[in-house]
Amino acid sequence: MSLGLPRLRLRFDPPKPGRTTVLPLAAAPPATPAAEAAGFAGQSGQAVRLSLPGFPDLVLAGAGAGQPLDWERAGGEAMALLLAEAMTPAAEPSPINLLRARPAVSRPLRRIALDLRALPAAAAMAVATGAALRAWQPPVHRREAPPKPPRLILHVAEEEAMAPAFIRMLAILRGVALARDLVTEPANLLTPKHFAARLRRLRRFGVGVEVFGRSALQAAGAGAILAVGRAAANPPRLVVLRWGDTTADPVVFIGKGMTFDTGGISIKPALHMEEMRADMAGAAAAAGAILTLALRNSPAAAVAVLALAENMPGADAWRPGDIIRTLSGRSVETIDTDAEGRMILADALAWAVREFTPAALVDLATLTGSIVTALGHHRAGLFGNDPPLLAMIAAAGELVGDSVWPMPIAAEHEEALKSDIADLRQCSSGSLQPDACHAAAFLRHFAEGIPWAHLDIAGVETREEASWQGPAGATGFGVRLLDALTAARFEAPDQTT
Amino acid sequence: MSDSKPEIAFVKPALPRAGALVLPLTEGTALVGLAAELDAATSGAITRGIEASGFTGRKGQSTTLFAPGGGIGRVLLLGLGKPDAQTPESVEAAGGTLWPGIASASDVLVAADTMPPAMAAHLAFGVALRGWRFDKYRTTEKPEDKPKADKVSIATSAVPAAKAAWVPLKAVAEGIFVTRELVSEPPNILTPVEMAERCKPLAKLGLEIEILGPKEMKKLGFGALLGVAQGSAVEPRMVVLRWNGARKKGGQPVCFVGKGVTFDTGGISIKPAAGMEDMKWDMAGAGCVVGLMAALAGRKARVDAVGLVGLVENMPSGNAQRPGDVVTSASGQTIEVINTDAEGRLVLADVLWYAQKQFAPKYIVDLATLTGAIIIALGHEHAGLFSNDDALSQKLLAAGTVTGEALWRMPLGEAYDKQIKSDIADMKNVGGRPGGSITAAQFIQRFIEDDIPWAHLDIAGTAWSTKDTALVPKGATAYGVRLLDRMVADHDEDA
Repeated sequence: MSLGLPRLRLRFDPPKPGRTTVLPLAAAPPATPAAEAAGFAGQSGQAVRLSLPGFPDLVLAGAGAGQPLDWERAGGEAMALLLAEAMTPAAEPSPINLLRARPAVSRPLRRIALDLRALPAAAAMAVATGAALRAWQPPVHRREAPPKPPRLILHVAEEEAMAPAFIRMLAILRGVALARDLVTEPANLLTPKHFAARLRRLRRFGVGVEVFGRSALQAAGAGAILAVGRAAANPPRLVVLRWGDTTADPVVFIGKGMTFDTGGISIKPALHMEEMRADMAGAAAAAGAILTLALRNSPAAAVAVLALAENMPGADAWRPGDIIRTLSGRSVETIDTDAEGRMILADALAWAVREFTPAALVDLATLTGSIVTALGHHRAGLFGNDPPLLAMIAAAGELVGDSVWPMPIAAEHEEALKSDIADLRQCSSGSLQPDACHAAAFLRHFAEGIPWAHLDIAGVETREEASWQGPAGATGFGVRLLDALTAARFEAPDQTT
Repeated sequence: MSDSKPEIAFVKPALPRAGALVLPLTEGTALVGLAAELDAATSGAITRGIEASGFTGRKGQSTTLFAPGGGIGRVLLLGLGKPDAQTPESVEAAGGTLWPGIASASDVLVAADTMPPAMAAHLAFGVALRGWRFDKYRTTEKPEDKPKADKVSIATSAVPAAKAAWVPLKAVAEGIFVTRELVSEPPNILTPVEMAERCKPLAKLGLEIEILGPKEMKKLGFGALLGVAQGSAVEPRMVVLRWNGARKKGGQPVCFVGKGVTFDTGGISIKPAAGMEDMKWDMAGAGCVVGLMAALAGRKARVDAVGLVGLVENMPSGNAQRPGDVVTSASGQTIEVINTDAEGRLVLADVLWYAQKQFAPKYIVDLATLTGAIIIALGHEHAGLFSNDDALSQKLLAAGTVTGEALWRMPLGEAYDKQIKSDIADMKNVGGRPGGSITAAQFIQRFIEDDIPWAHLDIAGTAWSTKDTALVPKGATAYGVRLLDRMVADHDEDA
């Protein structure tokens, strides 16, 4: 299971002379005349590629003030620079051609040494994380397979903390890569059934996997998932992933997994509809987080409940105006079949509440266009009913770079969900609606008073352009946040909620 | 008179022989004072009425008993909630709630004899705020459809104390009415020139008023504001309102800046026709600043404050600003105008710059009906708060919670700022749909000096209400006047 990640190795010796080497440095006056000539002073975001005697291909990467995310960025920027011209120089440069030399290229870059010997474990692994996530390659479907990403050789100090930090990092990288991989896959290749099959493979890492199909959902009364998935030729699934002590009260991740969302009868405009293949990013993030917890053998008890469906128009499609009986027993008046995410989440939340005694519920969903208008592409919207949980999530997000911003559920938002004919209206109609807040107010009902947080990740699940954090496309947003949250709140033996 | 509002009087408690009597009652408390007197005079009619109607005194509850006896036309029972949960704000809300029940009565007496005199004043404040009505353009309304309660008497055990507490509250109410009237006025009447004229009479409150026209603004280099105004037949204005109330002279003033687009068609980037009439209230930020300054002066706040409003009309015409135009702001920074309907930030850019240069304020708060995006983000209950200063934000959030003019803080950051990079000028005036309110705030922040605490309130969702609320009849809310008056009172006045 490479999942598009580069292979990583840990070594305690110096980098091999002549090998392409990345040296991350915190902000300081330039260390060498060459660095000075290249204007390198170690600011965050700065990376330069130099040829020096003994170091024919050296990348200096700035880590500014030396915060964890600064080190990560140094790794990411260095990798971005190397990938832009992924070749190794042929030989030692001539003295004439010392600076920013671009000697005759010879062969594709196969191995990159990260010289991390001067760094403590956390900073060293942050650099490697940045480099690996930037080097990650999406699954592509071309006749000719692209070259594999270059191997990363981590040269680190001999320190006790190093090996455990390395294992933890690998777990995180693979969780993020799984989420990115799933988000990237097109909807014809990742139907609810295929998605469930991919998740079954997590069993080999000790994850419990249960898959519920249409008849099981009917038997349970999951009317919302069934309505949303009704017109699609690919029927819906509900997948439960379990990690850890099955007798303890688990933290439950809920994921929206629309493998494709046409909008249904309330069909979306054609322009950019292809992006809706990523409408399962919440489920992918929850699955990625469970994989990370399993790979790093987390002491937490964690469950993911993933609602997987495809929203299609059809002769037997769910209609605006339809009243749907949800798994919780609440009836919902449909206003817009393109507000389907909150429907499947309602049933997934009800499933979690019914089957488990959740210590907390955290749902992730590419839920609304409204949150993109509100917060753009740089922060996810954070809603919930439990201020301490929300504060922990915000802090976890800042720590790992999955930034969120708290948003309100106000009385007016609850008011907007009053229906003349059912327990709840699904959303409000008309322009200029705070739909992200309405959706959160809707979901709050289904959390049944259990500490609950909702992350509206529409807008942050993919990035339009490559950045130091990764290539254009899937971001894996949420995996690291859930992992950090679990570590901070749900792993201590005296965990309180 | 362009508006109607009940006159408020404070009187000694005495049982009336006619008219309407309001009995504000807390939950689970026995009848005392005027209420007990009336109950006795009507041989227990009030007690029976309470029992028959299921009135418990719950907050917000109200029940009318007609002709209970003793000549009284009606008694309105008004629930105040739990006795230990009475705050000035909860009593104000109760005052607002009672208005619809008595609007059609004449000779109204409110029995506030059981509450402290200061609370009686807050009750009056609620009545006044809810009882205000914009009447200027109704010429054929039948008399029976008009509110009759032109005078509301508040019975209190300590008339002088209640009157003393009422003085500052009345001044704030008058400020709110200034704002509501300005915001309610139609755009053919309230042009930039007219709005500036309407500021002049406020000089009698002790405000110094200065009005700048296009010539002066051109000299100051207001290229951004003038670009917006150039398509209109009506000249732009900037009004500076100063209140020097601090006892200690020479301190830094607090500063408030308002967007005053008296009508916003969108200009060449014209808006869709549906709902465009709402754009008469695109000057609500400026309306708030003018009303706030009137409130501060009216209650003689011990603070130095300066309010500035940029007044323009945004029209399409043969001489209008075009998408693609580049204008030079007073700060010297150039702006590529991508969308002429993102005009508010252009007006604010020049006025904010002038405010900082001219007055070196302690802090600066701007208010603007700036973006539709803030409604999509938050709705109509919270205005968006954007700030470079956590301490100022905390003060604003706290004042918002107390006054019920709620704020929600929104993010700023470099990543958002990048969205307004221009290929040809220092910045462009729109950053696209994603984070639309945030990029607008980033734009404004580029005109704020780093060391000045600044907050921007995007009030597009809160300036106008489509339904009645406790203190605000449907229409112009004057959002921001109470909020900012409260913040000044709590933090900025001399001892």
